[in-house]
Amino acid sequence: MPVVDVDPDELRYLTGRDEKDDDELRSDLFDLGLEFEGWTEDDEFQLEFAPDRLDRLSVEGIARSLRYHYGDDRGVYVPNTNSAEWTIRVEDQPPERPYVTGAVVRGLDMSDGALESLIQVQEKLHATMGRKRAKGAIGVHDLTMLKGTDLRPSDTQSSGLDLSAGQGPTDAEEPRDGMAGDASVEPVGGNAITYTGVAPDEDTFVPLDSDAEMTPGEVIGSHDTGQTYGDLVADFDRVPAIYDAIGLFSFPPVINGRRTEVSEDSRDLLIEMTGTDQWTIDHMCSIVCYALEARGGTIERVNVEYADDGPGEYAGRTLERPDFETRTKTVTQDRIESLLGVELEPEEIIDYAERAGLDATRVVTDGGVAFEVEIPPYRVDIIHPLDVVDDIGRALGFNSLEPTYPDVSTVGGRNDRSVLEDAVRDTLVGLGFEDLLNFHMTNEVENFDRMNLPRPGDADADDSPVGLADPVTIQEPYSEDYTVVRTWALPSLMMVLENNTHRRYPQDLAEIGLVAGLDDGRNTGVSEYRTVAGALARTDASYEDAKARLQAIAEAFGKDLATPATDHPSFIGGRAADIMLDGETVGVVGEVHPTVLVEHDLELPVAAFEFRLDALE
Amino acid sequence: MQRPQTQVAVLKAADADDPTRIDEVAEAADLKPETATRAAFELEDDGLLAVTEGTLERYELTDEGTQYVFESLPEQDLYQAAVEAGADGEPVPMGQVIGVSGLEGGAVDIALANYARKGYGVVDSGEITADPGAKPGQDAEMDALEAVADDRLDEADDDALSQLERRGLLDVRTETLRSVRLTDEGINALMAGVEAAETVGQLTAELLTSGEWADVEFTEYNVEADAEDVSHGTEHILRQTANRVKDTLVGMGFQEMEGPHVDAQFWINDCLFMPQDHPARTHWDQFALEQPDEIGDLPEDLVSRVRSAHKEGVGPDGEGYRSPWAEDVARGLDLRGHTTSLSMRYLSGHETGELEPPKRFFSVEKVYRNDTLDPTHLLEFFQIEGWVMAEDLSVRDLMGTFTEFYEQFGITDLEFKPHYNPYTEPSFELFGTHPETGEVVEVGNSGIFREEVLSPLGVDCDVMAWGLSLERLLMLMYGFEDIRDVHGTLCDLELLRTTEVLH
Repeated sequence: MPVVDVDPDELRYLTGRDEKDDDELRSDLFDLGLEFEGWTEDDEFQLEFAPDRLDRLSVEGIARSLRYHYGDDRGVYVPNTNSAEWTIRVEDQPPERPYVTGAVVRGLDMSDGALESLIQVQEKLHATMGRKRAKGAIGVHDLTMLKGTDLRPSDTQSSGLDLSAGQGPTDAEEPRDGMAGDASVEPVGGNAITYTGVAPDEDTFVPLDSDAEMTPGEVIGSHDTGQTYGDLVADFDRVPAIYDAIGLFSFPPVINGRRTEVSEDSRDLLIEMTGTDQWTIDHMCSIVCYALEARGGTIERVNVEYADDGPGEYAGRTLERPDFETRTKTVTQDRIESLLGVELEPEEIIDYAERAGLDATRVVTDGGVAFEVEIPPYRVDIIHPLDVVDDIGRALGFNSLEPTYPDVSTVGGRNDRSVLEDAVRDTLVGLGFEDLLNFHMTNEVENFDRMNLPRPGDADADDSPVGLADPVTIQEPYSEDYTVVRTWALPSLMMVLENNTHRRYPQDLAEIGLVAGLDDGRNTGVSEYRTVAGALARTDASYEDAKARLQAIAEAFGKDLATPATDHPSFIGGRAADIMLDGETVGVVGEVHPTVLVEHDLELPVAAFEFRLDALE
Repeated sequence: MQRPQTQVAVLKAADADDPTRIDEVAEAADLKPETATRAAFELEDDGLLAVTEGTLERYELTDEGTQYVFESLPEQDLYQAAVEAGADGEPVPMGQVIGVSGLEGGAVDIALANYARKGYGVVDSGEITADPGAKPGQDAEMDALEAVADDRLDEADDDALSQLERRGLLDVRTETLRSVRLTDEGINALMAGVEAAETVGQLTAELLTSGEWADVEFTEYNVEADAEDVSHGTEHILRQTANRVKDTLVGMGFQEMEGPHVDAQFWINDCLFMPQDHPARTHWDQFALEQPDEIGDLPEDLVSRVRSAHKEGVGPDGEGYRSPWAEDVARGLDLRGHTTSLSMRYLSGHETGELEPPKRFFSVEKVYRNDTLDPTHLLEFFQIEGWVMAEDLSVRDLMGTFTEFYEQFGITDLEFKPHYNPYTEPSFELFGTHPETGEVVEVGNSGIFREEVLSPLGVDCDVMAWGLSLERLLMLMYGFEDIRDVHGTLCDLELLRTTEVLH
């Protein structure tokens, strides 16, 4: 779950609630679902919350939620935006990362925590919505350090790239997305930057945290941040690059250039975001813009001009960004009431919606009275009308609802396998076994080698002793102790004996548990079944002790037991037998081989058995 | 005839004419008094002996009394000292006399009280006089004390005895005194000849079938001694807890589910409306399999409905996710990270056919998470999973159901904290008060399945669900601190053997 660091003074300042002390703030935050985890070294709150409300990844967003909670704000808020002076031209961008968005924010004061908050929201959005920058990456630049190119076809790039190949200026009549009711796109003019692609060694810039001119390839190879995020573009023929009139200034999603680095003195910012999905980066951009607007910034739109023949679904279109368009969800009063289990007046529903920062309008539909609920752009978590019901429930206070036991009658029952398992376990316990519960995951050394079994690949194809099966294997396991699913349970019992040599004997152990092996005949490719395993560790343990208990079990479940002699590497030759129940071979019984005992540091004999649980059905 | 040896001895020690005290019989027969008494009663039952009861007062010196027998009574010491100090002439200050007597502490009060009572002299205004005519050497109480000590009770003066008892120098106990006398039948038996039967250590089949058991005597055991340790079979405590949960849920009308541990991501994640680029779907959180790596078949129509829920959402206002969705990813096999994969299989009708509401289902089965092993985290643990399918369920029904369930485990005051899950809305984390520590702890996660989950499965009513780790419940109930002691091959047999059975 995301954790954000928040200065309580900032919260007081941004909510205008100077009177709230730290404890009150913490309690109010808890009501919103933000849990206080502790203090940072800088005396800030560490707050943890569920990863739905990504608009709360910034102190400004949390303050906004508090203002709604206090009733100081109501309903949907959409910031004003000024018309575009800047254009992001998109030409020959890498097809793997075709989308870009952006905004200009002016008149900011980045001192006193504002810069820190911006860095935090950027990092947290990268980690969540941005999927570690793969889906969306944010670059923030000091606008005054950028020199826009003139929006006429040109080849002023120092790199020598022909960014204009075959393209004229964007036609204002081109289809575009943008805010409804907005004026038409400004006549071509003003400043432009260009999102494009370059070969990894084609151009150089000075990245953040460095003094040296480097190519993108060198950044990936030797820069710290480059090594962390280089994998995202390592397979690209041409890596993402952003140019202004001076040259390359950003290498998304890896790192920005030093030239445009934002400082506490910066006042005007250019935000660009690149990614693999336009909606995602547009909404990440909205969240950042809402935060900066709450800091006193003025939002200015930018035109995102996709070239005609470029990759992605917006080729040839110009988008006006940021996109603060609200969305609407319609939900019936019946559904709200049935889900919350209470009757509500339309006015109450509208009131709760507004307290949640939404706007609701009562409408009459085929399905009866309904509400059209308007959703602000930062609420990326609302993707279905029922998400609105949750907001209404939270505003109403779920814990104020009286629990009711549903008046619905059903018949309970256990499944056959678990009933059988319990019956066999009862029998084992009656025979004096201590019932165990071991991990299904193990490793091949425990499962095969230490039991004196060959690995499946090394075994004679005709020879298939109990336990010898191709195991289910884990991809890239964390720990070498847990790499496969066990193919039999006896190794687990031997490990328990090994770990308990200081405990009182006799140790009669049993387990009914899952084992698995590869099986082409199954849909999942795996045969999973339960086995019944028992081990008798006592100074005079013998084959007969194990067989005696087997006989008792077979008798209890009405099965004919036969034990023809067999060879099994885990058992002493001449003291091992197949377990046959009603004529079918289902397991093995015998005295455990001294090699196995010594391997497990045991100084007394062990007699053991293992067979399939379903043989007792 | 044959009688047990003790009975034979008692019979022989008894007299036909005069009653013989049982302690005398015991001594003559070389038996412990209680053994002789038991034998006497057995003989009386058979009509060979008559047992009569009387009472006897028995005097015993207390520790203080014993001390005076060997020394002298404190008032005697005081008289001696008074005479030495010249109090037989003039009154002498008390302190001086006491100093001479060597009496200390409580003995001083005892001496002063009895001194006056016995007329040894006068104690007045802090001065003592001694009566020159007194004869403390001939003290009836001292004589009685010595008589008791020497077992010459008949010589003791009754008044003196009761005085001694009052002074706490004597204990008087009333004992039941049994005496035995041979009956005619007993005499006949003795004349006919009585043999002692052997004592027997082990009751055998032969003794029982031959009837000899009636005539033998069983060697007495030390019945208080500790016996050898016995290993007993026990059901694993986590299993016990699981079964308790199962019983509770069956009692609430839930039916048990089961299904594969190795399953396709489709059932584990995609049906649950978890976007394919969700951080929890990386192999860092779930165990993806190297071998086998792909499921054989997925139901095609369901796959396309699930894809559509992810890409386009459900309903006119549903948006879905802006995440890539590929069937290849859905086909990938994992060790299930939750048993909600079973719920998906059941709700889809894939396991038991189409389900009609109302239904309640549960499972208590293992799930696997790629976590770091520590005292509270295991790579595999049991998840309690349950759901209710019905028309028009509300969050109040959800709250009522879980309140009922947790109360069965002593967790009351359940709180519902609004939460977020990709697959439920609304969602709640459940918090309860720890029955022992009073701490508020998270006890589960719950919610009402989203339409994006239910609609592709073909379910058009409501389904509410919840999940909880069984190990967490166990730790709450038993107060364990390290789950590894219980679950897995590092388990401590001693802990499993000695954990108290909860019922």
